[in-house]
Amino acid sequence: MEQIEKISSLCPECLRNISGVKYASDDGKVYIDKECEDHGVFTTLISKDVNHYHKMENFFEVDRASPKNHLGVTEKGCPLDCGLCPSHKQDTCLAVVEVTDRCDMGCTYCFASSLMDDSKDPDMATIRKMFETVKYYSNDPTCVQISGGEPTLREDLPEIIKMGRDLGLTHIELNTNGVRIAQDQEYFDRIIDAGIDALYLGFDGVSDDVYMKRTGKNLFEVKSEVINKCRKAGIGVVLVPLVANNYNLHEVGNIIKFASNNVPTVRGVHFQPVFLSGRSPADQEAKITILDLLENIEEQTNGQLKVEHFTPALMATAQCGATCMTLVEGEGEFLPLTNIEQGSLNTSTDVASKTKKSIMGRWKGSSKNEDSSEAVGSNKCCGNTPLTTVTVPQESSCCRSTTKSNGWAEFIEMSKNRYLTISTMAFQDVWSYEKGRIENCCIHVVTKDGKFVPFCNYNLSSCNGEYLYRDQITT
Amino acid sequence: MDIKISEEVANLLKDNGLKAEEMEKVIKDAEESGKKLESKDGSKCLAKAEDDNLTCYALYSASNGGFSLDSGYAHKMKMVGPTGGEFNVEAADEADWICKKCNENAIEANVDMTYLGVTRPGNAIVCPKCGDMYLGEDMVPTIKGAEGILEEKRG
Repeated sequence: MEQIEKISSLCPECLRNISGVKYASDDGKVYIDKECEDHGVFTTLISKDVNHYHKMENFFEVDRASPKNHLGVTEKGCPLDCGLCPSHKQDTCLAVVEVTDRCDMGCTYCFASSLMDDSKDPDMATIRKMFETVKYYSNDPTCVQISGGEPTLREDLPEIIKMGRDLGLTHIELNTNGVRIAQDQEYFDRIIDAGIDALYLGFDGVSDDVYMKRTGKNLFEVKSEVINKCRKAGIGVVLVPLVANNYNLHEVGNIIKFASNNVPTVRGVHFQPVFLSGRSPADQEAKITILDLLENIEEQTNGQLKVEHFTPALMATAQCGATCMTLVEGEGEFLPLTNIEQGSLNTSTDVASKTKKSIMGRWKGSSKNEDSSEAVGSNKCCGNTPLTTVTVPQESSCCRSTTKSNGWAEFIEMSKNRYLTISTMAFQDVWSYEKGRIENCCIHVVTKDGKFVPFCNYNLSSCNGEYLYRDQITT
Repeated sequence: MDIKISEEVANLLKDNGLKAEEMEKVIKDAEESGKKLESKDGSKCLAKAEDDNLTCYALYSASNGGFSLDSGYAHKMKMVGPTGGEFNVEAADEADWICKKCNENAIEANVDMTYLGVTRPGNAIVCPKCGDMYLGEDMVPTIKGAEGILEEKRG
């Protein structure tokens, strides 16, 4: 057994602060062991391959920028009086603003609570305060995700988006199940007119079997219709599958293939391995690690996207997420650009700046005015706005005769409109919880009383379903 | 050896992150070894120097018994060799250049260029005899653009 580090964690039963050890076992797996004096020892698998764990750690070189502001006074220390407290080390890359707890989906699993009582919805004045909280705590540019519940249950969602725009938020994306957007064009038009930048679309699979399991509804057609509507409107979509064993792990390859057929409207796939907070499966069997997911992606894409093509996401720690940036050469054909074996360039931009740039640039509609009506796969030359910061002069060789080699000009063209980000984030639950990860977290939920709480803290619940933060807000 | 660098070219070198001394060395080495391309009308020469991370090019001409640097550029990609394994000399377009060392007409051909794990063909000026490969200045915006994209993804 090789000890990796000592950690500070929580008891899954009573949410008391307890300490633990992260270590590699003799069989090469990484675990956390922690002990509560009342509730005993808890062991959690973190990675099934210590070599991969270390590779991710070694690749991860980041600078950090502090939040613009902290809470003035704290009493109990991390994570019990969060908001952001002075021990928080990382500026925000994405602020989550929940505009309702209501949801029309009734999923068997969700980290969020859901009621159908609209009297609990924050009013416009409260939401204005939440947006102002974002401006107060995070440095510009500011990226906001409007979330819930299901935000499209609110009739005044367009006004909410417009208010965010008027307050000067830089990027506003909408987290949605897509049902209302698929059915209500007039409503979708109002959202577009209000200035939404991108959709963050729940998308658990490409077959109705999957949707039936979680929601009891056939939803694949709904999801496809949302993507069609976004294509027409020039709005970028990120597909967001919750992934779990015995649920949809067998479909991850087909989800990526579906995404590749729908670039540039679909900008990315963001896999979220199930974490045991909120309404969740009682057993640990559903859980998968990042490496489990990546191995399944490798197998199901016939080795085109390999484990090694995924590098640590620019998040709190090397273990919080993994990202592969790839170009799409054809249907289910990829040219991955990232590779963990190459080592990182040690650049001096901080985590939040880079991630915000990524959210705003790549996950946004590619070209609202240019190719919104064109079919996927159209190959325009030079006219499109580059998505990256690299600008290529008009006289570059992509305009030249195609009888000459233009492999790199094609490459540049692909990077503008045939670009897909495959990412995953391992949210923490009370079993895997590490205070060190929380203190460096850059995804923050805004509370109605004007606080900023790291996402994993906000959604954390004990194994008995008692929330650390969320209940305080919703009850 | 007298090598003139105008203010305009000096600014270009600065933009491309190149030093005047490097360019002067490229020209000196080329003139001593004869390893260079010369345009068919004899007015210009193109020479290069390659190390592990960078290939630098000097485009220059004769001037008053010495030389004047007309342009300088560089790429980080490695030229690996002919795309598809060998150059198809018959089918290739003749370039406006002669390989001075071989006294052979150069051709325009596809060569595999690799950077940060991605390899693709790029158009180059190639001597069919010695196999020396040069990147023409017109390809520079494309290659630099691609390098930038790859670096951005890696960071």
